[in-house]
Amino acid sequence: MPTHRRDAIKQLITGAAITAAEAMFPGISFGAASKVEANLPGVDWKKTPCRFCGTGCGLLVGIKDNRAVAVKGDPASPVNQGLACVKGYHSIMALYGSDRLKTALVRKNGKLTPVPMKEALDLVAAKMKQTIKDHGKDAVSIYGSGQWTIPDGYVASKLFKGCIGTNNVEGNARLCMSSAVTGFMTSFGLDEPMGCYDDIDHANTFILWGNNMAEMHPVLFSRMLDRRLKNSDIKIIDLATRSTRTSIASDRSILFKPGADLAIANAICHEILRNGWENRDFLEKNVSFHTGKTNIGYGTEDNFKFEEKAETIDLAKYKALLADYTPEKAELISGVSANDIRYLASLYGDPRRKVVSYWCMGFNQHVRGTWINNLVYNIHLLLGKISTPGNSPFSLTGQPSACGTVREVGTLTNRLPHGEVTNEHDREMAAEIWGVPVENISAKPTFHTVEMFRAMDRGQIKFMWIQVTNPMVTMPKLKRYRDAAKKESSFIVVSDVYPTPTTEVADVVLPSAMWIEREGMFGNSERRTQHFEQMLQPPGEAMSDTWQLIEVARRLGYEKQFPWKYENHIQEIWREYGKFQAGPQHNMATYEELKKNPGVMWPYVNGKETKWRFNKKYDPATAGYNPKGRDDWNFYGKPDKRAWIWFRPYEPPAESPDKEYPFWLNTGRVVEHWHTGSMTRRISVLHQAMPNAYAELHPDDAKTLGVKNGGKVKLTSRRGSLVLPVAIDKRGRPPRGMVFVPFFDENLLINELTLDAFCPISKQPDYKKCAVRVELA
Amino acid sequence: MKTRVGIIALVSVLFLAAVAVIGESMRAEWQHPLPVESKSVQAFSTPIESGVFSRAPRALAYVQSGKNQGNRTLKQYYSRRAYAGAPPVIPHEIFDEKGFGGKGCLACHAEGEFVPKLKAYAPVTPHPEWTNCKQCHVAKEIVAPFRPTSFIAEKAPAIGGAALPGSPPPIPHTLAMRNNCLACHAGPSAPKEIRTTHPSRVNCRQCHAAIEEGKQQPGFVDDWRLTQ
Repeated sequence: MPTHRRDAIKQLITGAAITAAEAMFPGISFGAASKVEANLPGVDWKKTPCRFCGTGCGLLVGIKDNRAVAVKGDPASPVNQGLACVKGYHSIMALYGSDRLKTALVRKNGKLTPVPMKEALDLVAAKMKQTIKDHGKDAVSIYGSGQWTIPDGYVASKLFKGCIGTNNVEGNARLCMSSAVTGFMTSFGLDEPMGCYDDIDHANTFILWGNNMAEMHPVLFSRMLDRRLKNSDIKIIDLATRSTRTSIASDRSILFKPGADLAIANAICHEILRNGWENRDFLEKNVSFHTGKTNIGYGTEDNFKFEEKAETIDLAKYKALLADYTPEKAELISGVSANDIRYLASLYGDPRRKVVSYWCMGFNQHVRGTWINNLVYNIHLLLGKISTPGNSPFSLTGQPSACGTVREVGTLTNRLPHGEVTNEHDREMAAEIWGVPVENISAKPTFHTVEMFRAMDRGQIKFMWIQVTNPMVTMPKLKRYRDAAKKESSFIVVSDVYPTPTTEVADVVLPSAMWIEREGMFGNSERRTQHFEQMLQPPGEAMSDTWQLIEVARRLGYEKQFPWKYENHIQEIWREYGKFQAGPQHNMATYEELKKNPGVMWPYVNGKETKWRFNKKYDPATAGYNPKGRDDWNFYGKPDKRAWIWFRPYEPPAESPDKEYPFWLNTGRVVEHWHTGSMTRRISVLHQAMPNAYAELHPDDAKTLGVKNGGKVKLTSRRGSLVLPVAIDKRGRPPRGMVFVPFFDENLLINELTLDAFCPISKQPDYKKCAVRVELA
Repeated sequence: MKTRVGIIALVSVLFLAAVAVIGESMRAEWQHPLPVESKSVQAFSTPIESGVFSRAPRALAYVQSGKNQGNRTLKQYYSRRAYAGAPPVIPHEIFDEKGFGGKGCLACHAEGEFVPKLKAYAPVTPHPEWTNCKQCHVAKEIVAPFRPTSFIAEKAPAIGGAALPGSPPPIPHTLAMRNNCLACHAGPSAPKEIRTTHPSRVNCRQCHAAIEEGKQQPGFVDDWRLTQ
């Protein structure tokens, strides 16, 4: 609308000017004046989702002469409404690092040597064939990422699970959000949030559980701040283990001891029930109660196994189990005063408050990650404050297509594009769509990410193809897995855009086309699928990850399954993939609709997006199940058509500070850098703002140690040690006895120190809690 | 007399006790934790163009404060930006890394006062309503890049470009995040080359039209270009 008005005014003015001029100088045409000086002349603006985080901001990229020259936020995108963050505004500069990989490299006599792309692809295919012949199909694997476009993940799954017949398909989203997945699956039977970002415009209370949104989801955080500026009685509460920019901007900042979120959430439920604030009607019609196994371990040993044993209970039993979580008892565990816990409960419980809970890595990178996801759903379910505008438990994501690719296409060992490998019907569906015999698809999940690298260390996995991810920076307990990758028995192929610590351990490096140098789709946190066209020619022989996989698949003899022409392969892949998701629970928009719109949310049924799932007012998939009294909701993901409340106790972290290692080590991110920094560090503005990692200490701890800002400390854990410059009262302030270190810096690898303990249900490692010693260096 | 004193004392004691009890019980009520919370509500003094004079109590005084005109140039303006239209970096020390909006950056950048510490007029932000400033504006801690870059920034849009001699020049940049014209075009911190001669006429787009994006310009424009 404003654009139209502006256009109209512009036309009016130029029109009037031309008319006047022509009247003054008859015979001279001034028509050309209607095309006066342009904003960045010759620049063509094209829409794309941002390359970086899972928020999925819509960007307009300015293209001129096969170069990206400028970025602005897309005002038409409902996600960011024209705003972006410093990474988004400078994202195009990540395409232009002078060390872009432009040719394939093959290790010869220990040195990576340039070879033609064709030769490298031949070698990859030959090596795969040989490995399968010598060691069986489960000796080859692919490790992808939440930065895979949807077509990348789809062809990877089709090649490995459908054609080769191994479930050795994982993605780095295992390190990033598999606890969110298992949280959704155990509570609702279906993955991904029921609500959407529109909830920000309806809620008046925002509770942030262990996520520094001001830095990590700045655009969504700014939407919240904007809402607070324009409305009274909006509250933002920051629950965290360290003080950050988010804490400062919030109305209340509450600090808790690492891992004690479990006790706090239970105590909130305890208070809700003690005060009778629960929504009885909603509970009776829509919720069932359950318990699971306790003392479930930490997965630090090889071949760790876990099997859940669920038991159905009732509200009375659930209430009795919560008796251990009075606010006073939770105070002892969490360090949060009983009063503050009651305050939190009163915010959730107040009938005038619409509450959004946000969380990200604090919950997911947690040895009880699945449990803490369950617990926050419990709070919302007890109150019936779920899946209505403004009432939303919302799991945020960190990668542009963690949802779109890893979760929806199912590039995890146990998943298929629709459903689970263990389910016969799901396998039959995949076999039919893929055109492979159903026996090809193995019914047995193999290795989750940590175990896959352990299997490489044990020599079970001989071949790993790594695409769009940098595990030699991100794996916890890094040394073991780097040594594994360097072994003679491990053949590593890496597809990437820049040299990284991961390409250093590679036997073959394939140069990839990045982001808008190829066509693709990403899926963001709110179930929004966004298409981007190819806007630029990739440099040198760089090729999209999709096409690399297709080239290798054809060399392995799967021409029939990968028949597409280059010109329209993305469109054809989208059409085929859409068959898996057809139906009201997950229907996807067509290729043509994706090209037209700034993203489309699924389920997309009869030309309409579904903003709130399970709610009969908004979700067409709820139709067809309407027993007496169940007219508002249908939690159709579970066989009993109910959402599940799980009793989950507090259990301590895998490793806690002790005499020898008296500090907590907490790791995370900063606003400037995206994950391992292989892209953002090549953006001068971002590197100049945040050049290296640091150890953040409480001022009193720094004083005791006798170290000042910029001085050096040595951190030592049971796994390794690292010397870092100290930052006091910069980005954040940890409590006494905690040190925080960001993980973006490939020269200061903090994951040498972290522990590979994980949530036994989700298998996602805990990067937030292990014990270290801090000394002057 | 003794009795009277005793009664008065008793009444006083009872009164004090009552005050204490009522006070305590009221305090207990208040303790139901609703702590005092602060919000940085701003009163902006720069007028916003989209609502003429809508935040203008001191605006005219500011934009017309001619006696201490700053010396910022357009070249300096663009030197803070990776490309024309990119958010500028913070060229000075950050005084509070964790600070937000009104308590942080906006203390100077909302109204563009003279900052003695930096001996400069603070440039005025055109979008003070967005308070998570460091979401887009970051410091420059070091100069060296991580790796060299081959990114080439486009030349900044030319200024001038009036369709007719003497007619109002059009707006050569996009208005996203920059729809408060006077922030950059008036007052002592405005770059000299683009400082308006008539800041009191705040309904800017009455005369200055935004150009349709992406269109080539024919003649009629100033050929002078800025180098970055």
